[in-house]
Amino acid sequence: MKRRQRTEVLIKANISVAKKLADEIELNHKIITIEEPNSGLVMVKMRETAQKHLFYLGELLVTEAKVQVNESIGLGIVQGNNDELAYCLAVIDAAYNADLPETAGWAAVLQEAQQSVLQAETEEALRILKTKVDFETVDEEVKA
Amino acid sequence: MAYVAVKGGTIAIEESIKRLKYERLKKRGILDVKNIEAGMRGLIDQVMSESSMYCEELAALAIKHAEGSPEEAVFLLRAFRSTLPRKHYSKVVNSEDMRIERRISASFKNIPGGQILGAAYDYTHRLIDFSLVNDHQSIAAEMQWLDNYLTDYQPQEEAVVLRMPKVLDYLRNQGLMINYEENNEEPKDITKESLKFPTVRSERLQILTRGQTGAVTALGYASLRGFGSVHPTVGELRIGQLPIFISNPLASETNEDDDFYIGEIKVTEVETIISTSVKKGRSKTELKFDIGYGICYGQNETKAVAMSILDRCLETKDDAPTHDEEFVLYHIDSVEATGFISHLKLPHYVTFQSKLDSVRKTQKEAK
Repeated sequence: MKRRQRTEVLIKANISVAKKLADEIELNHKIITIEEPNSGLVMVKMRETAQKHLFYLGELLVTEAKVQVNESIGLGIVQGNNDELAYCLAVIDAAYNADLPETAGWAAVLQEAQQSVLQAETEEALRILKTKVDFETVDEEVKA
Repeated sequence: MAYVAVKGGTIAIEESIKRLKYERLKKRGILDVKNIEAGMRGLIDQVMSESSMYCEELAALAIKHAEGSPEEAVFLLRAFRSTLPRKHYSKVVNSEDMRIERRISASFKNIPGGQILGAAYDYTHRLIDFSLVNDHQSIAAEMQWLDNYLTDYQPQEEAVVLRMPKVLDYLRNQGLMINYEENNEEPKDITKESLKFPTVRSERLQILTRGQTGAVTALGYASLRGFGSVHPTVGELRIGQLPIFISNPLASETNEDDDFYIGEIKVTEVETIISTSVKKGRSKTELKFDIGYGICYGQNETKAVAMSILDRCLETKDDAPTHDEEFVLYHIDSVEATGFISHLKLPHYVTFQSKLDSVRKTQKEAK
């Protein structure tokens, strides 16, 4: 799983998933913290749909951490105040960047986490879809 | 003399701040930040939008600190924001990627994907619910309702992703709407550069989206009442979660697969339709539709609709005040407007003494 997809799954899934993977690395490798989890901002750049210009929507509070495993640096970044998740994400990122053997077994874990996320989003979508207006029913009622 | 006045004020100021704390505690109840976050969604959304910083937890804390005053909470968050480093810029966010929670059109009955009401006050009776007075005493019953609601849907095998096309693409595809090419000019940032007139579109949108809800609504309303020449129809109002990504800051080359997902933000986005005449040849004009654009953090529909009206006002020339960019853009910011108005309460002894002297002098001369 590529980083774009992987980080989305790890952030949306229960924190226990990221913690479990990071713990595996901590157990077997030396982790040097380059940047303790700390707060910062990300400016959101957006394309408006009226004239398709770019503009800045506003900022988003994030927590960011950097670690080193072997010769590889890993970055963890997540919205809000979440030191633990930012650190775990950094460790996981470093593990992939260093191509550590543990990462070979993570595909199934991430796949399973992705399924859970998708399941939760589907359930929410189905609940939201209950508020979809059925105009046909309205028309029939009016005719009656 | 001036020094003595300042020193004398120090103790009074300290005691005044103690009174603030007393006012917050005197009813012997302490608000839990988690409870504010759980139950004050509307206020949190408004405060995040006006402070231009997305973090529900921090907004809840600021609301607690400010005893529920939105202007104070926004001031606190803007001040805090100024202490933080801006670490990254997001990749360009497109609202087509929104995970929809609500999406309606006032212009078309049948829209692709359908009209989805989501959570809205529009069709409630606005009769105050007195049962909420004691609902904290029946938490178990309320949580049971929540659990029942969460399981009350028709399960299905396939995954459902609520991403939907823009309603107004229908008009674009029929050639009834000006279809603009993508403009990739880097936006200006009003937090880094002082505003100079005439402004560019990116500056206007940034100021409007972080404008004070009441001010944006009031000016949008004024435009509809005749102090402007824009009367739109809502083509689409959508609310949902936008995913935010950043490019890998440790890589020298940009590769989409290498991006970092950092979270999602809830926004309200509105496209209003306004008819406009386009010159065709020397003497002919043709009527087409143009769009007013509004967007803000959280669910704040009135603000987003009003913003779309003001956006369109500022794109068109007219003598009405809501078409004057200096009038609109300089007066809708919460911190600037409330800051300037409230500074009038602070000591102006020297200024006023000077005015008093002048009045006395002119009266003496008149005699």
